[in-house]
Amino acid sequence: MSIGEMNFFQRMVYIIQEYSGSLLKGAATTMAIAIVCTFFGCVIGFAVGLLQTTEPHKGSGPLKRGLLKAVKVVLTAYVEVFRGTPMMLQAAFIFYGMSQLFGINLGMWSAAFIIVSVNTGAYMAETVRGGILSVDPGQSEGARAIGMTHFQTMVNIILPQALRNIMPQIGNNLIINIKDTCVLSIIGTVELFFTFRSISGALYMYFEAATVTMAIYFILTFVCSRILRAVENRMDGPADFNLATTDTLAFTSGMTRYDAQKGGTH
Amino acid sequence: MDEILKIEHLVKTFGTNEVLRDIDFSVSKGDVISIIGSSGSGKSTLLRCINLLEDATGGHILFHGEDILGGDVNEDSYRTKVGMVFQSFNLFANLNVLDNCMIGQVKVLKRDKEEARATALEYLAKVGMAQYIEAKPRQLSGGQKQRVAIARALVMNPEVLLFDEPTSALDPEMVGEVLDVMKDLAASGMTMLVVTHEMAFARDVSNRVIFMSDGRIEEDGDPATVFSSPKSERTRDFLSRFNS
Repeated sequence: MSIGEMNFFQRMVYIIQEYSGSLLKGAATTMAIAIVCTFFGCVIGFAVGLLQTTEPHKGSGPLKRGLLKAVKVVLTAYVEVFRGTPMMLQAAFIFYGMSQLFGINLGMWSAAFIIVSVNTGAYMAETVRGGILSVDPGQSEGARAIGMTHFQTMVNIILPQALRNIMPQIGNNLIINIKDTCVLSIIGTVELFFTFRSISGALYMYFEAATVTMAIYFILTFVCSRILRAVENRMDGPADFNLATTDTLAFTSGMTRYDAQKGGTH
Repeated sequence: MDEILKIEHLVKTFGTNEVLRDIDFSVSKGDVISIIGSSGSGKSTLLRCINLLEDATGGHILFHGEDILGGDVNEDSYRTKVGMVFQSFNLFANLNVLDNCMIGQVKVLKRDKEEARATALEYLAKVGMAQYIEAKPRQLSGGQKQRVAIARALVMNPEVLLFDEPTSALDPEMVGEVLDVMKDLAASGMTMLVVTHEMAFARDVSNRVIFMSDGRIEEDGDPATVFSSPKSERTRDFLSRFNS
């Protein structure tokens, strides 16, 4: 049967049979870029968001205050520029700029990682800032009152709670990244969208190739969103808890042991 | 007696609003001082200034004779010696009861985990919360949370414990369990500074009562005198509202 005689479904099956290798490779590239860049975007976002919410210590001198202020201005500029321009243009700007101005030829992978991470970081910075501000100020007062430093308070008390609060937004960013890596096709990254263009260009089957590729994108994003929801539920911990006891007979019924000598009550 | 804290000419203003005007008093070892007064009289702000959660505008706070507002003092190590219990508990929401009582010991006092755990369990047992070490704060009632918060402050072995209206956010039936813990503490010789609206506690448990009004100390004396024959008109007014 020639391609001309096939119906819609047969053509889709044909695409899958002939191009399953490149589609899988494209999907894998997309996922690799999305996951790695969401991770590094979060790291950048936490660093920037943390600095942006830092207030100068009342004992610090004008030099330290000035430095913190300057850093905040630079970071705000970063966030505004990368949130305020299309990622497609950022990709072209960084990729071609690096080669033209500095003679550096970024490979496909490093270019993709840098661009998407830096872009995600700009969005995450604001998300993290919001996450930190959403934690009850009483939490940090409680920590300061037992003598914890600002840094200890942030790492042990505020950031874990902020992270939980912004998990839905991190998931959102991952899903956006899975789809938005398609703009990297402008610098020749062979990801899922690039694969779609090659297939449709070679076979002239735009509708069928688009349907197959869309289905793959949907499976990727849907699985990711389910996994992230499960992670969130895990972070919340169980809704109930076990009572601790020194009664050895009760251990088997799911109660936790604790040492009577170290302050238990019988 | 051993003087732990001495407050001299403490002033605090928020903008043009003078919340504390020239506060003077001292706290000796073993003192249980109740600070009473109507809302807005500056009681809580006074405690927050002593714990450095608010920056005092003027005056001195001497801790064993050393001025902690001087600027050279390590605020964090001072805070470990002056514990604080809040009206809104402020337990760490991301940690369970045991970790709430361990984290300060491990991170601030650098105790090893075994020792921290033993100390935490000892004090949790004292406040009757040892059974709940695995619970998260959101799974506890208000009274239970406050008892854990008291244990969290105690494990740091503070020299003074500040209570900022510890029972004001509690349902009436839970007030008793927290007050009982505080009574035991007072009996064990803990130095306490308690901002409270519980007049029975102020009268029966504390050895000194301070009445504040408009940012000033209006009356400072032993409970019997303050409650039965107050010197100032304002104190009489305030107390008469509770006795009616």
